[in-house]
Amino acid sequence: MAETLTTRRITIDPITRLEGHGRIEIFLNEDGAVDRAYFQVPELRGFEKFAQGRPAEDMPQITSRICGVCPTAHHMASTKALDALYQVEPPPAGKKIRELIYTTFMVEDHALHFYFLGGPDFIVGPQAPAAERNVLGVIAKVGIETGKKVIAMRRKLRELIALAGGKAGHPVFGLPGGVARPLSEEDRRKFQGAAAEAVEFGLFSLEAFRRLVLANSDYVELIRSDAFTHRTYYMGLVDEQNRLNFYDGSIRVVTPEGKPFASFTADRYVDYIAERVEPWSYMKFCFLKPVGWKGFTDGPDSGVYAVAPLARLNAAEKLATPLAQQAAEEYFATLGRPVHHTLANHWARLIELLYAAERMKELADDPGLTDPNVRTVPTATPREGVGVVEAPRGTLIHHYVTDSRGIIQKANMIVATQNNAARISLSVEKAARALVSGTNVSEGLLNMVEMSFRAYDPCLGCATHSLPGSMPLWIEVRNAGGERVAVLRRDSDGSIRRE
Amino acid sequence: MEASAGSEAGRVRLIGLGNELLADDAFGILVAREAARRFPGLEVVETSESGLALLDYLSGVSCLLIVDTIQTGKAEPGTLYSFDAADLRAAPAGALHGAGLREVLDVADALGIGRPDLIRILAVEAADCATLGGPMHPAVESAVAAALDWIGAQVATLTRPGCGRRARSLR
Repeated sequence: MAETLTTRRITIDPITRLEGHGRIEIFLNEDGAVDRAYFQVPELRGFEKFAQGRPAEDMPQITSRICGVCPTAHHMASTKALDALYQVEPPPAGKKIRELIYTTFMVEDHALHFYFLGGPDFIVGPQAPAAERNVLGVIAKVGIETGKKVIAMRRKLRELIALAGGKAGHPVFGLPGGVARPLSEEDRRKFQGAAAEAVEFGLFSLEAFRRLVLANSDYVELIRSDAFTHRTYYMGLVDEQNRLNFYDGSIRVVTPEGKPFASFTADRYVDYIAERVEPWSYMKFCFLKPVGWKGFTDGPDSGVYAVAPLARLNAAEKLATPLAQQAAEEYFATLGRPVHHTLANHWARLIELLYAAERMKELADDPGLTDPNVRTVPTATPREGVGVVEAPRGTLIHHYVTDSRGIIQKANMIVATQNNAARISLSVEKAARALVSGTNVSEGLLNMVEMSFRAYDPCLGCATHSLPGSMPLWIEVRNAGGERVAVLRRDSDGSIRRE
Repeated sequence: MEASAGSEAGRVRLIGLGNELLADDAFGILVAREAARRFPGLEVVETSESGLALLDYLSGVSCLLIVDTIQTGKAEPGTLYSFDAADLRAAPAGALHGAGLREVLDVADALGIGRPDLIRILAVEAADCATLGGPMHPAVESAVAAALDWIGAQVATLTRPGCGRRARSLR
């Protein structure tokens, strides 16, 4: 094909420092300008087939092992899908223990990302020599004591997760209708102590961000730069007062202007989220169904939306805890509202870390946490259930359809990175267009392209899965000249249409 | 490591990395399970975690063996690679979990966190690490036996007294 012959392909593979695998590809045209850029992920196949025929009750244990990066998020989303499947509401202590473990996990995961995965980009700095843009560079910049603090904090939080929920890498606490066992007074106190430290750690990290990033006008300019800016829709879970919540609530979407667009419960996700497949990726790109797919473009007419810290802060009206709310006000005052700058994800992540720590403290301070009544035993006949949580990397949905014995007939999963996939592609392409030209592609430029990608903290291990159950799916076929020659569309009712 | 002489000298831990749900990625887990049966004195850990989670498994031993999956795309599935962590930069690129090992060790060193003197890695070239519930490639599956032989040989050498000291003197 002529197109193949005139297109040069540059591959950055693997993306360093990412837990998991990803690949950014940049296509140049004959003149050496960026023709197209996107990110490609290794597909994770077979989720539905894998789930079919298994007892739904096994799913929280099994799905937590899908991904070694965020087992707690899958465990929780799956457990909540079982609540819905068995139509059972956990008692207050059951919910509180779940949220306590979950917020503990969020603190740990966000801290790890900021310092060790995102750190080389912002703490060491985008223009630093490649040899310093690594975790050692981060430690050199923040100091050994801070490095030790991060590691010690991480260890302590993981021990607590293990204490209350089974092994941190393989949580087993969630059951339909609650949790496996109550929390002792002794354990509650341990959480209390760790939560107080986590709050201090969150404040300290935000201070470090102010000192290392915000005090440097070049960095702030970079955050605000057009290359890293997209005006898209934003999605996140909120409580009944439209405040950010990681564990439960309604899915809220705001427009690129920051105005409320939709608010829906997880069971209605198919009315709002549709998926499409591009010929160059196995990944399914989610978009807002009521807005529609207008290609890889931003603005109010395009259904492209974002999840994860930046999106969550935009989607919520406010934060439920005082220190985090204060930090969010500073953030919006600096960057405007909504924030469209991808690299601001790092700042938003730290604000969320503080929120998670404060929320952890609130929950640990609650004497109701040790109530021995932690589970409502299900009695209803199962049929269908959808569960949602905010994973560190964004909205995560598990959806199971079972027979009356609770054996899975259909299953679907939308992982955070899938929600973000279209916007990530926008980011990668825009950064590439602004920063890569001609055949001289310096390491620094490639690094900038990667930066836009890493800000999302994409988790690629589980970003793809096989054919969906009831999700709308659009397949578009283009010829070598880029012309669209066929569209195959399957809607949520299973009907197939050709256009 | 504070003490490589005395009780910790010769202590060996095996970590099987991978994901038993993901076809060939189950390799490290299966090897670890079988090794636990076959070598009763060996401390065995199996985990699907990656990146800095490995920090949790570094301390307390002088010698660490890691069994993992790798996809270089340049060798036949089932091909085994063996190398020391000290040679990691020269190792075939693209390890599924080992990619972060170099950095994990850097962090451990920079922060003064104890870590084994000797880390030896065995990685198998995988064909598919992305199919949930998928079968293992026959060549990868049959490499399990060779991996166990490798572990046996390592254990025989490393559990002799003074392993840690000897490794250190070589560095």
